[in-house]
Amino acid sequence: MWYLDVCRRRGTFIVLFVALAAVGGACAQDNYEIQVYGSETVAPQTTMVELHSNFTVDGSKPLPGSSFAPDGLYPTNHALHETVEITTGINDWSEVGFYIFTSERSGQGIDYVGSHIRPRVRAPDRWHWPVGVSISAEFGYQRPVYATDTWTLELRPIIDKQFGRWYLATNLALDRSFHGQSVPLGVTFAPAGKVSYDFTRVISAGFEYYADYGEFIDPATLHNQQQQIFAVSDLNVSPNWEINFGVGLGPTASTDHLIIKCILGRRFDWSHQHPGTSDSTQ
Amino acid sequence: MSDKTSRREFLAGMGAGVLCAALGDKLLAFADVELDYRLEIAPLRLEIGPKKIVQTVAYNGRVPGPLIRWPENKRIRIQVTNRSDVPEIVHCHGLFTEPGMDGAMEEGSPMIAPGATFLYDFIPRPAGFRWYHTHAFAGRNLKRGTYSGQFGCFYVEGKNDAGAYDQELFLTLHDWNAYMGGGGDSSMDAVYDYGTINDRMFGFADPIRVTENQRVLLHVLNASATVTHWIALSGHEMQVVAMDGNPVPHAATVPAVRVATAERVDVVVKMNRPGVWVLGETRKAFRSAGMGIVVEYANQSGPAQWIEPPATTWDYAQFANAPEGGQKPDIEIPMVFESKFAGHGDFDRWMINGKSFPHTDTIALQQGKRYRLVMTNRSMDQHPIHLHRHTFEVTSLGEKKLGGLQKDVVLIEPQTVSTVDFTANNPGSTLFHCHQQTHMDFGFMTLFAYRR
Repeated sequence: MWYLDVCRRRGTFIVLFVALAAVGGACAQDNYEIQVYGSETVAPQTTMVELHSNFTVDGSKPLPGSSFAPDGLYPTNHALHETVEITTGINDWSEVGFYIFTSERSGQGIDYVGSHIRPRVRAPDRWHWPVGVSISAEFGYQRPVYATDTWTLELRPIIDKQFGRWYLATNLALDRSFHGQSVPLGVTFAPAGKVSYDFTRVISAGFEYYADYGEFIDPATLHNQQQQIFAVSDLNVSPNWEINFGVGLGPTASTDHLIIKCILGRRFDWSHQHPGTSDSTQ
Repeated sequence: MSDKTSRREFLAGMGAGVLCAALGDKLLAFADVELDYRLEIAPLRLEIGPKKIVQTVAYNGRVPGPLIRWPENKRIRIQVTNRSDVPEIVHCHGLFTEPGMDGAMEEGSPMIAPGATFLYDFIPRPAGFRWYHTHAFAGRNLKRGTYSGQFGCFYVEGKNDAGAYDQELFLTLHDWNAYMGGGGDSSMDAVYDYGTINDRMFGFADPIRVTENQRVLLHVLNASATVTHWIALSGHEMQVVAMDGNPVPHAATVPAVRVATAERVDVVVKMNRPGVWVLGETRKAFRSAGMGIVVEYANQSGPAQWIEPPATTWDYAQFANAPEGGQKPDIEIPMVFESKFAGHGDFDRWMINGKSFPHTDTIALQQGKRYRLVMTNRSMDQHPIHLHRHTFEVTSLGEKKLGGLQKDVVLIEPQTVSTVDFTANNPGSTLFHCHQQTHMDFGFMTLFAYRR
């Protein structure tokens, strides 16, 4: 998943740390899809369409007299990133998702940023595991003016558990770049986590944590790690709708400092079942 | 072991009883009565399909338990021995028993301790297709209660049973290996790995063998703890002749029958399409989980074929009378069903009139009066509500009025108001509850008590 550019590339940190140390600025990040995955997959004969809207209130800024930030990318400050995610269930333990990333910034219009494909499999319910487990592989391209690495692969093991009113999830992403600055740096480690509480049947709220520790074997210093925490809420208004929104703070130099995010999802059922009849499980 | 007790066994038991009299009154008490059936509750390793083993608890080492077939109004004595490691109880569902013999602890029937024996002694009535099952609490233990294999058919033979059929079969639907699932946007519910008709998954049981032009009477019981099932026989129609053991006013013909938890439907199928067919759940997911059986005509062979029936809605009214002329109730009892959220990772709590059992208010009944239960279902779930020890008449379901349909379980739809009428004609504590195990265990019960 390409939810935080920095999460993809511990190499970005190291290279940019040297390159940007003089200006003391934070390294760039692209917040296109900010989401902690649960282990559930989309049901077969069902498609989930999601729109991720992320606005960076306080992010990287352009160098004086330039359109680009110190990292050579378009700045994220006051950028609105819209991502369309379309996920279709294959069977009761797998799905495939497709992403289209865009960026909009005053004076730049709407730009196509890139696309990813993400198959995912999970431990089927019939295995009766005590926690939900799935793993996704996300592969894709993003334009070089928006990312220092253009071709990337991510493997994301996902573990979650719902018990009573509490929900816990962790995503332990391992990223690899195939073209760009991070190629020599190998695999990077970008964990994320979520804890939330069901206040009512409709309203759940909690915190989401996103990080990039840099190289998996040799993590970056805290100053150069990506660290972000979001206060989030999920509104469970209908099984067919997914609504999540939150506000995130990035305390380290390498992180966009303030982001507002929103996910709006709609589930479409292609099974042509008639609810309440003999051919429907609803 | 033999389920029915022969005269010889009875006399042998008498002798053993004399020999063992010194051991106590309890043994003697069971030795000096003639037993009609014996049930032994014990753990069972049940092979429901190839390499599909479920660990459960059952009656007499089989699923379903032995068919109890007994004349109406003839006293029956059923000895139940509990060889499991937890207290158990056996409820005879749909029979007009006394509270102490009904097999519901809430009404006053005793739990049977591990290793203990209890004698159920009553006069079975009314005639028709009843059943027996455990009435034990399961809670979050999805191996206990009606999740287990503790169920069996109880057929009370009436004097006027015309027997207008050539073959009679009892089919029990059951779901196995329950676990807590769902969650997400809703609350948890019980979901299952497997489904069976009787004790076997599809393809693992002997076929039902029929001949062309036979009229086959199917007694279908949904013994699932929580799931409403739809059943169809490929390419055949089913004439519904009775529900919950009671003849229906209009024996309508349908392509598929819906059977809610604890409901029974008696259907007659005219075998008029030779071939090898699947009789099973109409929904592929449930058929794939095993809920189906082969029906094979004489001189026919080949793999069993499934023909999708047309999408069918279930309307109780098609089997009922028009509502005109129905008896008016003396007293209306309002009942509001609501759920209380306990987290997306837990079962909901359930309330009747704002209270969960055992804190619900006991409702007083006066013998001879006719009562109308006005049930407002404010939840988003269906509820197969069940009244013990009585039969009720379904008088309205949502906006639809109906009459003459006598049942002991009826499925109440979400966000509707429905009514059933019954006459208080069987004194004693009477339990009312949703038959979904996840609902009754989490508060969806209340008691009626007759005024002295």
